[in-house]
Amino acid sequence: MEVLIVDFGSQWTHRIHRTLKYLDAHSQIIPVSTPVKEVLKADALVFSGGAIRIGLGDTKKIGNAAKFIDSFEGPIMGICAGQQFIGMHFGGKARPARGAEFGKVELFVDEHNELFEGLPDRFTVWASHNDEVVDTPGFRVLAHSKDCSNHAFKSLSRPIYGCLFHPEVEHTEYGSEIYANFLKVARK
Amino acid sequence: MPFDPNRFVAEATDFISSTVGKGKAIVGVSGGVDSSVAAALCAKAIGKRAHAVFVDTGLMRKGEAQFVSLALKKAGVGVEVVDARKRFFSALRGLHEPERKRKAIGKEFISVFESIAKKRGCKFLVQGTIAPDWIESGSGLRDTIKSHHNVGGLPKKMGMRLCEPLRELYKDEVRQVARVLGLPKELSERQPFPGPGLAVRIMGEVTEEKAEVVREACAIVEEEICASWRQGKMGLPWQYFAVLLPIKSVGVLGDRRAYGWTVAVRAVESVDGMTAKASRIPPEVLERISERITRELKEHVNRVVYDMTSKPPGTIEWE
Repeated sequence: MEVLIVDFGSQWTHRIHRTLKYLDAHSQIIPVSTPVKEVLKADALVFSGGAIRIGLGDTKKIGNAAKFIDSFEGPIMGICAGQQFIGMHFGGKARPARGAEFGKVELFVDEHNELFEGLPDRFTVWASHNDEVVDTPGFRVLAHSKDCSNHAFKSLSRPIYGCLFHPEVEHTEYGSEIYANFLKVARK
Repeated sequence: MPFDPNRFVAEATDFISSTVGKGKAIVGVSGGVDSSVAAALCAKAIGKRAHAVFVDTGLMRKGEAQFVSLALKKAGVGVEVVDARKRFFSALRGLHEPERKRKAIGKEFISVFESIAKKRGCKFLVQGTIAPDWIESGSGLRDTIKSHHNVGGLPKKMGMRLCEPLRELYKDEVRQVARVLGLPKELSERQPFPGPGLAVRIMGEVTEEKAEVVREACAIVEEEICASWRQGKMGLPWQYFAVLLPIKSVGVLGDRRAYGWTVAVRAVESVDGMTAKASRIPPEVLERISERITRELKEHVNRVVYDMTSKPPGTIEWE
């Protein structure tokens, strides 16, 4: 199992690496400029969060990320800016969040599919975002919060997932379980 | 698989031996768990060819130089203490912006280490840098949150090569390593202290007077919280300290008007320092802290507030 973590520059990119390591999955952090053919060898990709403002159309610095989505057929998980980018790539609307969230957020799970399997209907997660993505065609919303309607989604046609919150940080409840569920998809 | 501290010790000692080779290294120690672990690993890997140096910047905790020498002695590491108080205060004079302060401190540390390295023929500098230090220092797409003195605060040109065995670790993992290395508890379980010291607990310009005030305030917070914890009145927070805000407010002391500074008390719950939540300290403990600070530091401080901000959006330290 080799997971490549595409680094959008999050403070928590390395926490993703740590979470996966604790789950026995080997992972490597790679820059967005990595050639596409190197990425194709991976078993799964994770797009980290980052300081880029996807909601303001700030996508100049994300290198080959769009090509990774188009050419890699395995499971992909996008976190925060990574989720927003994936949503936007498939025609969703990225915008400054109506209610930006920093720190503790109560998450309501709308649909317990493979990503939230075995988890409660609501739990505490940690978020840190200025932007959000909404109206994502071809994706099903899996969770929301009081201020954000699209906190997690899943593609209807491919194994692509996204979380606006950060399952890799200590203060998110069940964060490790969410990555474990994603790895289960990748190990299939 | 969760972190395996024994395996890490084996890998890290190999890493240090192969990096330093037959050479000699300075190990910068601050009294915190990270640099203490780095020093203990060096002692294991290269023995007497590692030379531990504690720089007294004038911005350390109360009684720190003595504490560090004693605690590390117990761990089998001898420490040279360098009194560099004057040069740090003079380097910080007139600096208000946190990033400029942090970089000035980083530069001073390196010049102190360089002069010792030259005298002793050391080609390497071993630092207890951990993951949050380089993460928050930023690079490429990653924004600079704060330049840690040991990473983003380093001068561009240095006469020593860096060796940082703990770069991949977070604080909770470093503590596990400290325990398997048998470091004394007062080191392995000690609360974190920022590399630039009290300079980042004084908002704006640092002076000796402000350093003295915040050092005392930090000691009061630590004493009161530890005492309440020992009495079973509260859990011990992950980190707890005071911040000096050189903002004045009006008070009344003994029927006389007072116009003094403000102290913010900060205590947080965390595991790795990358996210944090304000601790729920019992009100009577906060009250006691406020009373002691405003009485014992009455010439300077007449107001105490408690910081409830999580990380994010705040950071743990204020600068």
